[in-house]
Amino acid sequence: MSELAIRTRDLVKRYDGAGITALAGVSIDVERGHYLCIMGPSGSGKSTLLNLVGALDVPTSGDVVLNGRSLATESNLDVVRAREIGFIFQLHNLIPTLTAVENVEIPMMAIGVPRRARKQRAVELLTEVGLSHRLDSVATRLSGGERQRVSIARALANRPSVILADEPTGDVDSRTGEQIMECIQAARKQCGATLVVVTHNPEISRGAERTLHMKDGLLQ
Amino acid sequence: MLILKNLLRRRTRTLLSTLGIALGIAAIIAFNAVGRGFKESLDRYMRSTGAEVLVVNRSAMAPEYSRISKEEVDQVRALPGVEHLSAGTFTIISGRVLKKPKIKFLTVFGRVPGDRLIEKYKPGIDGRLLQADDEMILGSDAARDLELKTGDTLELLHHPLKVVGIYTSDVKFESAGCVVPSSMIQQEMKMGDSVGLFWLYLKPGSDWKAIRAAIEEKCPNLAAIQTSEFTAYYNQLDYIDWFVWIVSLISVVVGGLGVLNTMLMSVSERTREIGTLRAVGWSRGQVLRLILTEGMLISMVGGCLGVLIGTFGAETLIHWAPRGLDTRYSALLLTQGFLIAVALGFFGALYPAWQASRLSPIEALKYE
Repeated sequence: MSELAIRTRDLVKRYDGAGITALAGVSIDVERGHYLCIMGPSGSGKSTLLNLVGALDVPTSGDVVLNGRSLATESNLDVVRAREIGFIFQLHNLIPTLTAVENVEIPMMAIGVPRRARKQRAVELLTEVGLSHRLDSVATRLSGGERQRVSIARALANRPSVILADEPTGDVDSRTGEQIMECIQAARKQCGATLVVVTHNPEISRGAERTLHMKDGLLQ
Repeated sequence: MLILKNLLRRRTRTLLSTLGIALGIAAIIAFNAVGRGFKESLDRYMRSTGAEVLVVNRSAMAPEYSRISKEEVDQVRALPGVEHLSAGTFTIISGRVLKKPKIKFLTVFGRVPGDRLIEKYKPGIDGRLLQADDEMILGSDAARDLELKTGDTLELLHHPLKVVGIYTSDVKFESAGCVVPSSMIQQEMKMGDSVGLFWLYLKPGSDWKAIRAAIEEKCPNLAAIQTSEFTAYYNQLDYIDWFVWIVSLISVVVGGLGVLNTMLMSVSERTREIGTLRAVGWSRGQVLRLILTEGMLISMVGGCLGVLIGTFGAETLIHWAPRGLDTRYSALLLTQGFLIAVALGFFGALYPAWQASRLSPIEALKYE
């Protein structure tokens, strides 16, 4: 039990206003340090599951347990997101006016890391993802692949125990996509984090310890 | 870094919002400075007479409309405790009547030649004090605008008056005016032997309240005012305060709405970014502080600019306005102006900041 990084039990997410049940009771266990790939068509509920695991949203019923701590009883989900989770979004979601370094500093600002330490860590991470030459480039001047690398560095900023990636290669060509997945894998191995990737690209699942398939809000 | 870059992202909007605050604060500073300057000029003028009491007709809206009969003057002069009574008249003549394009109007003080009230012009006078009914003395600003010097003649109210002296005064409306024989104004205004107002110099140890009571008992239509309390007594001057505060209120509302609008648009445009901030662990409080700080930064810069523009604007205003206006600044006024700006930024940004902090991360990330 203590080896589980993520455990969900009967997760249900209903949007009553729209009459949609996005998750109809999903239970998964992910061991610490493992790479789980969740696949499924659009609308299958995989992103909803990722958002619930990442404490971005709350379930209608059921529970998410992260590293032995139930999110249902957690009083401050902001702290959970800041310290335990690293998000990688399909569309990067970088702040367009900030440089690569400043974007990586953003999660560290949430937990009050001093300015100098923030910058030092951001530079280290960007160097690790191969962007040492683009440190002071504004996000809008980076290519799609470079932006996603910044997004990976940002996800690792606070040394999270869990990295959640939602279609991380969805916005780049296949060659860049491979490089991004290599980059995510390398980063994960280095920090020993658990990785959950949501995708509908079968290529992505190749390095995964486990792949789950979802359809209509349920695991297949 | 985030705050500055957010504000610089929409430079024109930020600049306009800052200017909105700046102009609001500038209006507050400028109108307050001119309003206070005018009142303080009146106080200074009253002090400069050296008299303790000013007497006017109670029903007169302003000193220039006051009429006091000779009998009333004589009754008051005879009161025990009155050492000296200086009667005077007062009028304002339009520059058009004078056919002098450089001057909008001329303040004319009617005084009795040789009276104690004229003695105050002696220090620094270029020439001498008026001694006859065909003489006048001019304030230095008026002399400059009228392009007159000692020895010249000015036709005033159909009377050719010889300029026998040019005086200086730190009271602007006095410096922009002139002193003529009171009899001339009485004649032109068809006042007969009435005067407009008079000042009382009291004997040492006299109780001014007792004298006031005696005046009001003998002459019920007269009002005796302690010269040191003149501006407080004359509630017509309250209109200046009302005007200043109405302008200030409008400025505050406009400035506040400017910040509100800017920050609401900013929050709306950055909904996804706010979602990102929340997704990576920023708390509601941190988002709230971010937006509030942005609003307050706009207002602080606007406040500083407003203080500068207001000071410059007030000086420009009195330079171009008819002479006689003065300005009065105080550290308190400038600080108030700046603090109003900060408050505008805070309250203008409060609702957008609260709105931003209430955004659900997942909804904000989905925002198109």
